[in-house]
Amino acid sequence: MSDGPLDDGSLVDYSRPPSFAHASEAELARILDFYEVRWDYEPHVFPILWNIDGVVLESFAPDFYLPDLDLYVELTTLKQSLVRKKNRKLRRLRELYPDIRIKLFYGRDFRQLMLKYGKVALIDELSGTPGQATGALREEAALRDEAPVQGASTLDDTGAARAAPVVTRGAELSAAAGERLDVPPPPRDTVRRRAAIAHPSTLGSRTATRREPPAGRRTIKGR
Amino acid sequence: MVRADVDLVADIGEVLLEEDAIQARVAELAAQISADYSGRQLTLVSVLKGSLPFMADLMRHITIPLRIDLMEVSSYGGTATESSGLVRILKDLSSSIDGSDVLLVEDIIDTGLTLNYLLRYLRGKNPASLRVCTLLDKPARRLVEIPVDYIGFTIPDQFVVGYGLDYGELYRNLRFVGVLRPEVYSS
Repeated sequence: MSDGPLDDGSLVDYSRPPSFAHASEAELARILDFYEVRWDYEPHVFPILWNIDGVVLESFAPDFYLPDLDLYVELTTLKQSLVRKKNRKLRRLRELYPDIRIKLFYGRDFRQLMLKYGKVALIDELSGTPGQATGALREEAALRDEAPVQGASTLDDTGAARAAPVVTRGAELSAAAGERLDVPPPPRDTVRRRAAIAHPSTLGSRTATRREPPAGRRTIKGR
Repeated sequence: MVRADVDLVADIGEVLLEEDAIQARVAELAAQISADYSGRQLTLVSVLKGSLPFMADLMRHITIPLRIDLMEVSSYGGTATESSGLVRILKDLSSSIDGSDVLLVEDIIDTGLTLNYLLRYLRGKNPASLRVCTLLDKPARRLVEIPVDYIGFTIPDQFVVGYGLDYGELYRNLRFVGVLRPEVYSS
């Protein structure tokens, strides 16, 4: 895959796989590849806090963007008690950028996912830790090929969901309306990958596109 | 190879859905499907292996003429797929669905990744319509938002087995849906 321009005109080196910050991110990338869902790794930085001079004090760069689903995905493998800061940033992001669709995958979500796929060993590796990629995982990620992905036709809208009982712990049943959801267009070309980004605070224009919030929604700090 | 020393029921920490509740809900779904597809050419497509019990019960409660077909796709992490790294159709449809009203029957939808792939694939076969029926919906883990037309139960984000759902290919033959004890997979 050749280099391609970003929104700001800079180039991304697609020939190198990203250096994922966490093992869970590398695993999710493999899962998305497996199911032929295109993804970008940390392609956008969203400022969420400015000082009085308009200087960005805090930003948020979701781990993945799935262009065909128009969905950002943020993974955290931290213990539930340690995700408060991330939840706060997510709330700010949603306040400032209400049109952004973002899904936060907690550690427990990811462990359940790994259990489903029979990757029990990886569960132990990620449990309650910052989830840094091991040497083997980084090497595996680096060796992944850049195989193109087959396209497919667009899904139909298939009508409203029916009411379904909601099961809670203890098998309580209650009626709840099903939800009708929009179907995104399917992937049509190849998996896109972007060069590594370590952290929002270190992001440069080479690899990330900074998004501005709607006018009048900025939060000023430091007055 | 199936381990003979596994006590399937003892491995269940909590019964989430009793057999009676499942059967009652399946009958409700079948009645709704029978009404919705009255006078149309319905083809039920079951996704192996997990949806097999659900498919078997559902089709017997549906009162209109129908055809059935089976599909199987490789699952992420499965040994058969390690070489390619991409999802594959392990068993394709036996008959054409061109012009048919297709209802895809799933056991559970969580991330939506498999379903998303299957719907794209089936859409390419030109059915007259394509809808989704799932016994279990686990929306907490949804990545790909897909309209699901018939939902048996919406369940919490717990690892469940039984009534077709497995862990390590076991527990599919339980007649209820239960939450697997964590010590079963942590050991």
